[in-house]
Parts: sequence; structure tokens; C-alpha cells
Amino acid sequence: MISNKYKILVIEDESNIKNLLKALLETSGYQVITAKSCQSGQTQFISHRPDLVILDLGLPDFDGMTFLKEIRKESLTPVIIVSARSEDKDKVDALDFGANDYITKPFSSAELVARVRSALRNSRHSADEGRLPGGKFESDGLVIDYDARRVFIDKKEINLTQTEYNIIALLSEYSGRVMTYAAIIKAIWGYVDINSTKKLQVNMANIRKKFGAKPGEKNYIVNELGVGYRMCERNE
Amino acid sequence: MKKSYEIAKDIMVTIGILCVCFFICFTIHNAFERNALIPSVLVLGVFLISVITHGYVYGTIAAIIIVLADNFAFTFPFYAFSYLLPENIISTIILFVITLVTCNITTKLKRQESIKVESENERMRANLLRSVSHDLRTPLTTIYSSSSVLLDNYDEFSDKQRMQILKGISEDSLWLSRMVENLLSITKLDSANVKVIKTNTALDELIDSALIKYSKRYPYQKVTVDIPDEFLFIPMDSILIEQVIINILENAVQHAKGMTKLSLKVFSISNKVIFEIKDNGCGIPEERIKHIFTGYYSQDASSYDSRKHNAGIGLSVCASIIKAHGGDIKAENLKSGGCVFRFTLNMEDDEYDQQ
Repeated sequence: MISNKYKILVIEDESNIKNLLKALLETSGYQVITAKSCQSGQTQFISHRPDLVILDLGLPDFDGMTFLKEIRKESLTPVIIVSARSEDKDKVDALDFGANDYITKPFSSAELVARVRSALRNSRHSADEGRLPGGKFESDGLVIDYDARRVFIDKKEINLTQTEYNIIALLSEYSGRVMTYAAIIKAIWGYVDINSTKKLQVNMANIRKKFGAKPGEKNYIVNELGVGYRMCERNE
Repeated sequence: MKKSYEIAKDIMVTIGILCVCFFICFTIHNAFERNALIPSVLVLGVFLISVITHGYVYGTIAAIIIVLADNFAFTFPFYAFSYLLPENIISTIILFVITLVTCNITTKLKRQESIKVESENERMRANLLRSVSHDLRTPLTTIYSSSSVLLDNYDEFSDKQRMQILKGISEDSLWLSRMVENLLSITKLDSANVKVIKTNTALDELIDSALIKYSKRYPYQKVTVDIPDEFLFIPMDSILIEQVIINILENAVQHAKGMTKLSLKVFSISNKVIFEIKDNGCGIPEERIKHIFTGYYSQDASSYDSRKHNAGIGLSVCASIIKAHGGDIKAENLKSGGCVFRFTLNMEDDEYDQQ
């Protein structure tokens, strides 16, 4: 029987977690292939062409990063990194090397499935996700009109500067995905200097103020401390 | 940097004390024309120098200078070196031996003190390890026995019972993971030569991130937030400071009985940022408040029930993190009821890493 389910490749050496992920994803309606090492992961990747990869960074043979770099040479298949807290710096590196998202151990099943769903949706429609005909992004009361370069919250227009608008537009284009400080800076200013993280954070603080965001409450933009920002998707 | 500062300070101290001594000796010599007091003043000087300065060097140098000066200025013949008179030679030798021995003893004393501090640290670490192992056993037991019970007799339980058992497993494993998080921070800080790597962190992002994590665990207890309007940039290890905030909030939720309000306030005074977490619960018993940040280390492992003391490790971790950042942390009871935890961080730091 040929199934049209999404195929997910799970690369994880810890067999308990691997079995758990397999069971969890299968009950959520995905087809799951597993691999225990970087090398067998690569073989599986080539022969099965999965729609998404869940990758543990600490693998027995090579670093998960090696796998990521290898497949990014020729494919844009979404990759979700599973990392332990001690690998904080690796997380940023992985995102900068083209991973789509990361999730920190220990994670809840709901969290993981939500990330998988969002990564798959993003890759399917790529940058069109959330855009209505006429170049609009909509999420939960936040509307971005790309043609007019205007932003509304609950139908009220928010006055943003050029830079602020560019940041919002960029984040919305990759909504659901973590954008690292470095990635945003490169896209907005084109160059990185010693003050650019600060510049970005000041801009973000102003955006939050204009958006009326309150610390600790659900906001349109989630800040991932020390890593970057992520715009929430619809209904997330 | 710090070392050369210390050396400069020691040299200044040595010169200062020597000058004072000589001044006193001259006064005595000229005013009373009696020299019996002079050697004791000089020995006192050397004694002070070796107590205040670090290592043997300064004390020894001071001793040599003093012996020569004594011979030169204060023993007959005055204002000339003379080792012809046997009493001069003997008094010089005695003076020299006394000063050397003094400075030897004081240095040894100081060494012993630092060894004592070290062994105290060692003892605290051993206590910590014992307490932690003890604490880990309880949730592990729940997890292991619950899951094996489910595996062995799955069909004999009703759906409701199974849910209950699973819930217990999930709660206890979350508790474990928080405990491990705290332990990781401790080991990160305890290895004395590892410094916290500070990056500039936006205050509102820190608070936002901490509160989101907090409210995932305790959705029912809201936190009122009051932070300055202006944009604050504070050098810190944001993951660690975030943990401090979460630990203090969590401590309030678990221990402040009768609490209805929990608030977090941040404000800056000159180049310090002050974080204040206030509740209106039952307050902290006076006998515990002194040891609230160190209690966990010094407990007897056998004498308590583990749940209550998770807060202990949480607050001990807070104290080590803040200390490593060069800040202060304090807990106080409020007159109006409840208590306040206050910690400070420095705004400027020349050693932070720019991202």
C-alpha cells in the first residue's frame, strides 16, 4: 500500500527516546523511519527522502551538526534539532547552519508535535504560509499588509519605523521558526558589527512596546533568550 | 590585573608602616633619649606588615631594613653602621630572628585559614552530594515503581487509576528535571576557575522569558510585573539569572502559605539593577532566614523530607549564581506580612563578552 503520509526520519541513539518519538509521531499520523547514528541517518535520508528530520545533536559516530551540514548541501528538508541544555551554543550554530527549529530536552509530546506540524507546513507553502491573496500575513489579530508595508493589530494600525517593519516582515515570513540574532541582523542590515545585537534588541523592545506586549504573557513574538526570536503561527 | 594591584597595595602598606615606625622611633630617640622602646616598636611594625601583606617577601624585607636601620640610627654609635661592639651584633641577630619568626608564623596562620576554607567547601560539597542523592531517590522510586506496576498489571487497573499513576510519573520526572537543572548550574559555578560568561541581555526579554517558563509550571498564581520603561541592558549569563528568578518565584509558590499576591519589580540605582520579588504569604521563620541561602549545604541528610527541601537547593543555587555575578542576594520578612527576596546585579562590567 502506498501511503501519502508525511515521512519523518528520527535520528537518535538513545533507544528509549527513539521508540517514544516513533510511537508519538505514528499516533499523530506520520510515517516514521529511524536511525541510530549519523552515518545510517545519511543512508536512510538518501534512500527514503523524508519530509522532515528530527535530529539529536549528540550522536555516537559524528556530531549531529555534520549530518546537518551534509544534507544542507543539496536539500531544504526541514530539520528539527533535539538538544540538551548543555548544548546551548550548538543550538545557535545549528540554527545558523540551516536547522529549522530546536526543542530542548525534556520536552512534552504536545510541544514536539506542534513543532513538527509547523515545520512541515512552513516547508510545504514556504514563504506563502499565512499570506492571503494580495500579500497579507494574518495571525490571531495581527495583520501585515506586505504591499502597503502596514501592520495592524485587531484592526488598529501600528506605526512602525522602516527597520521595525522590516524585522516584523522578516519574522512573519519565517513564522513558526526561530530566527537567530545573527540571521536577522544579516537580513536587515546586511553586515554585523559589535553593536548590532544591541541595535536589534532595542528595535525589538520598541516593537514590543508598540504592540502592547506584556512580559510573561502570550505575545506575537516569542523571544528565545540568548538565541533569537520566533513569530507565533496562527492558532499556535 | 588584580595581582599587580595587590602587589602595589602590599608595597604601599609595607612602606607606610615602616615610615610610621621610624617616625615613632625618631620621636622617642630625640625626645626621651632612651632607646629601650625602639626594638619593640620595630618588631610590632614587622608583625603588622606580615599580618597585612601576602606571603613572606614583604615581612622579610621589612625585617632586614629594620635591623639595618636600628643598627644605623638607634644604637651606639648613632648614624653609622657598626658591628664592632658585640652587643650590637647580638641585638641585631635577636631582632632579625624575632622578626623572621613572626612573619613566618603569621604567614603560616594565613595559609591554614585558606586550607580551612577549602576543607569547609569540600565538606559542603559532600553534604550537597548526600542531600541530592537522597532527594533524587524519592521521585525515582515513584517513577520506577509506578511504571513497573503499570507494565506488570496493566489490565487490572481502571482507566482512571492508570491516568493517576501516569500523572504521578510525569510530575515526579518534571521535578527531577528541575533538580538536575539546578545541579548543572551548581557544577558550572563550583569549579572555581570557571567564570560566568556575561552577555548583554535586554531586561524585558529576560523577564518575559522567565515568566513564560514560570507560568507554564504554575499557571494559577499570576505575577504582577513592574519594570522600568527605559531600555536596560545588563551583562549576565541570562540562562542562570533566568533560573534565579524562576527559583525564587517557585519558592514563593511552594512555601508562602496564604499568598494571594506575588510581584516582581526591577529598578536601577546608579549602576546597579535591583530585582525584588515580593509575596504576601506567611513569611519565613526567623530561625531559618539566616540560613535560607546556605541551608541546603549544611543539612543533615537523614533528617528531612525531600519535597520541602527542593526549595533549599533552589535558593542555594540562586545564592551561588548571584555571587558568581558579583551581586548580592537577601531575604527579608515584611512588616505587612510576607517576605521579599532582593538581588542586585551590576550594570557595567569591563569583562563581559560582546556577542
